[in-house]
Amino acid sequence: MSGHDSKYFTTTKKGEIHELKEELNSQYKDKKKDAVKKVIAAMTVGKDVSMLFTDVVNCMQTENLELKKLVYLYLINYAKSHPDLAILAVNTFVKDSQDPNPLIRALAVRTMGCIRVDKITEYLCDPLQRCLKDEDPYVRKTAAICVAKLHDINAELVEDRGFLEALKDMISDSNPMVVANAVAALAEIQEGSSKVIFEITNHTLFKLLAALNECTEWGQVFILDALSKYKAKDARDAENIVERVTPRLQHANCAVVLSAVKVILQQMELITSVDVVRNLCKKMAPPLVTLLSAEPEIQYVALRNINLIVQRRPSILAHEIKVFFCKYNDPIYVKMEKLEIMIKLASDRNIDQVLLEFKEYATEVDVDFVRKAVRAIGRCAIKLDRAAERCINVLLELIKIKVNYVVQEAIIVIKDIFRRYPNMYESIIATLCESLDTLDEPEAKASMIWIIGEYAERIDNADELLESFLESFPEEPAQVQLQLLTAAVKLFLKKPTEGPQQMIQVVLNNATQETDNPDLRDRAYVYWRLLSTDPEAAKDVVLAEKPTISDDSNMLDQSLLDDLLANIATLASVYHKPPDAFVSRTRPTQPRDDEEEFAEQDSGSGDTSAPVPDGAQVHGGYPGAGPSGPLPPPGGYGAPRGPSPPTGPPPAPAAAPAPAPAPPPPAPVPDLLGDLMGLDNALVPAGPVTPSAPAGPPLPVLLPAPAGQGLQISGQLMRRDGQVFYSLRFDNNTQMPLDGFMIQFNKNTFGLASAGPLQVPILQPGTSANTLLPMVLFQNVAPGPPNSILQVAVKNNQQPVWYFNDKIHLQALFVEDGQMERSTFLETWKSLPDSHEVSKDLPNAIVTNSEATLERLLKSNLFFIARRVLKDTNQEVLYLSGKVAPNVPFLVELTFLVGYPSVKCAVKTPSPEMAPLFFEAMESLLR
Amino acid sequence: MGMFISKLFAQLFGDKEARILVLGLDNAGKTTILYRLQVGEVVATIPTVGFNVETVQYNNIKFQVWDLGGQTSIRPYWRCYFPNTQAVIYVVDSSDTDRMGTAKEEFHAILEEEELKDAVVLIYANKQDLPGALDDASVTEALNLHKIKNRQWAIFKTSAVKGEGLFEGLDWLSDTLKSRGR
Repeated sequence: MSGHDSKYFTTTKKGEIHELKEELNSQYKDKKKDAVKKVIAAMTVGKDVSMLFTDVVNCMQTENLELKKLVYLYLINYAKSHPDLAILAVNTFVKDSQDPNPLIRALAVRTMGCIRVDKITEYLCDPLQRCLKDEDPYVRKTAAICVAKLHDINAELVEDRGFLEALKDMISDSNPMVVANAVAALAEIQEGSSKVIFEITNHTLFKLLAALNECTEWGQVFILDALSKYKAKDARDAENIVERVTPRLQHANCAVVLSAVKVILQQMELITSVDVVRNLCKKMAPPLVTLLSAEPEIQYVALRNINLIVQRRPSILAHEIKVFFCKYNDPIYVKMEKLEIMIKLASDRNIDQVLLEFKEYATEVDVDFVRKAVRAIGRCAIKLDRAAERCINVLLELIKIKVNYVVQEAIIVIKDIFRRYPNMYESIIATLCESLDTLDEPEAKASMIWIIGEYAERIDNADELLESFLESFPEEPAQVQLQLLTAAVKLFLKKPTEGPQQMIQVVLNNATQETDNPDLRDRAYVYWRLLSTDPEAAKDVVLAEKPTISDDSNMLDQSLLDDLLANIATLASVYHKPPDAFVSRTRPTQPRDDEEEFAEQDSGSGDTSAPVPDGAQVHGGYPGAGPSGPLPPPGGYGAPRGPSPPTGPPPAPAAAPAPAPAPPPPAPVPDLLGDLMGLDNALVPAGPVTPSAPAGPPLPVLLPAPAGQGLQISGQLMRRDGQVFYSLRFDNNTQMPLDGFMIQFNKNTFGLASAGPLQVPILQPGTSANTLLPMVLFQNVAPGPPNSILQVAVKNNQQPVWYFNDKIHLQALFVEDGQMERSTFLETWKSLPDSHEVSKDLPNAIVTNSEATLERLLKSNLFFIARRVLKDTNQEVLYLSGKVAPNVPFLVELTFLVGYPSVKCAVKTPSPEMAPLFFEAMESLLR
Repeated sequence: MGMFISKLFAQLFGDKEARILVLGLDNAGKTTILYRLQVGEVVATIPTVGFNVETVQYNNIKFQVWDLGGQTSIRPYWRCYFPNTQAVIYVVDSSDTDRMGTAKEEFHAILEEEELKDAVVLIYANKQDLPGALDDASVTEALNLHKIKNRQWAIFKTSAVKGEGLFEGLDWLSDTLKSRGR
């Protein structure tokens, strides 16, 4: 590019912006005003006029209200793009907020609230404070809303400046509009905050009810919404509120009506008098009906809300079903909602009328609407058993019209009707079969196949019919394939003749070998195995009686319904979703995981809308092994069949005590601290009061205070998360602080020693400390016969060394992997010589509930093996296993009479010398 | 021709407003002076964050007086107001001897501005009512006013709260502007 070309970049034309700039700075007021108007015009059509910021702001101080409003408008739009320059407007705002004209005062404070620039916010507070106390109600009500805006920008500032209190005071304002706006602002602030900011009290309730009658329609909506959140004290309180709110039902504004309905519905929950409730229901019907004469958009909103209302209180509109009849010119979205409500309102009294309507709809032109109408007939049949026959007749008439999609839809719903009323209407099957060839939708096909399978014994040519579907088996959608599979199995079970037998072979082959669909394959395998091992069992499973279905499609979960009813007249009630599912206003202090929950809920409700005909029960998680291999015998099938433990009387017949439900090992729920310890084996931080301090019984005292010159030591061995700990408590009853605690253990049978230093903080007089000392085993093992004595020495910097004896409780030493297979148990028992068996009566032990006892023992790592009952004495015998590290197993047999003291405990172990210790442990566990 | 004269006349003495900036450090008394000139009273003021603009009629001249905030954070934005300015009134707190240096720097920075090269400058040595206030000669010295070249300027001892010296300064200003306009 040569130097000459630079001329193209310098233009003599100054352009529109420059012209505007000149005009804005004109000395003539009219020119200035025109210029600002031009700027605003440019702004509204989307031209960027932000570079004129200072020039426009300079026009701000003017007597001319029109000009001022325009400049304010400009500021709201562009302050964000010039946060620094925006400060130039502050002085004018401050001045205007003290203007003699209340309109200007309000305008200033309102505009300042709209300018979301931090630097401006701090200057907003003083004017806002003044305006909240302004003599003019218009200024006050504007300021109230401004507080909510400010809270959104800077919540702390609002709290620090006491604006919340000011707002709360405004609820007692003499002007109802101010009250309404204060309520609106408080409600908005409350929504965005996790703290309780706004709660209606007795006193404010009165004020709100008084303001309700006098303020504008939108003010009424604010107040009503607030009232709907009020928890009335009792039925009287609720009745009082409802009485004051009821006149609002006559209001011309639909928002007021819906909000009033919301309040009444909420408060009705508390009202006990049947008469009052009935009366209220009567009063609510006409206004709701009136809503349906508004524009279609409003009708839709009303219908979505009514949908919720009739789910909770169908009686309100029970007599008004006619207003929900669809008009030919209703938009489709209104028609669909009306249908939904008609189904909900259908009753034995009005069903004839409703069916006539539905039949009419089913002949209209809109396919979606027609389908929904046909479904509606089916749903009414399921809902009203006395009307089922009439519904079926209507469906049959519709089938005769031979409109393809009507027929298919009808078959789908008839399947549900058959499912609901088994063996009642199968006479119509012949009619259905006439339409067999026209079915091309998967759901309709699947339904028809289900019907054929279900009634195979009544349909003479069922095998032929199924055969006709089977030709295209590989091409069918999974839904149809699954039904074909099940229907073929049913047919075979009902008519085990040659034809079906061949058919089932083909289907099973197809479904197991030719398919990629794991659901289909697994279901086929399950059937196959069932049929090959035990056809009778297969009959029991496949032809089992099915649970009754009900029409719960489009019915909302109760808690969700509660939530939505509390949000009537908001978007939530139109979407039928809780507000937090589609809008999040709360600040990031709250965890955001609730969204996932709703996603789950959604998918859940989607599932329920499609009733699965049957076969669902075999859908579970069966292992997908080959069909040839027999099923492995399931887990706890009867008592052990092998030889019983040699002691005691011969075992009772295997089947007698039924499958002993081995208590599912209750996963011990370790607290967080325990988790940490388990992970890194580190010492527990021994604070003055560690959270690990056993919450249960106090630790046994080992060194009483008098013996320890005022120091008292209590302690006990315990087990937590697979490790042995010495739980210790030090009480300093001396007059001096004690520090420098150390601990030492003498040689002992199990070689217990501390795994780390004792961590006790400086103990001030009169205080105490708990600590968990991790222990190791087999460090310094004492030779000789085992005993339970643990000799401990503790010293500190201030006192002599203290010696004391503790007892080793074996239950703290049982390891987690002491569980044995039943077979191993038997083998081990047999392999040990009888001399290794020791038994003892534990007179103080008692078992009142063997399940609970087993659970307790499991916590101490004693594992259940088997149980039986001795027929002659009615005594119960439990077999358990346990292990003390590193490798001393204990095989245990407990014999007892439930509820009576004294338990006979027999134990077999390679180290019988440990038996006395074991008995001690057992006795304390069974106390 | 007659129309031309009347238009000229109107521009000088009629609708036309002389644009005047009141500048100076914060707490110099600019806003007080503005309202003393406009309404003749001492009004309670708070620090000006932004600006005030009022029309003051004096000696048949309408002054459009812009009082700009003097805080450090706002001073950078003074330049937004410089175009089309006929005069600058620079207000100095004569009792604030500590910040006289800052006042001088800001003042000379203003004089350097291209857009203000034609503006006349009036200095108010304000707050003469306070004990220890420097007189006009000392302020002249402190602000290095003698260095000003190619510009009409004057300094007046004023007390905004007592109303002394303000209108004398305005007399000078109106005379100067009228003579220039001619």
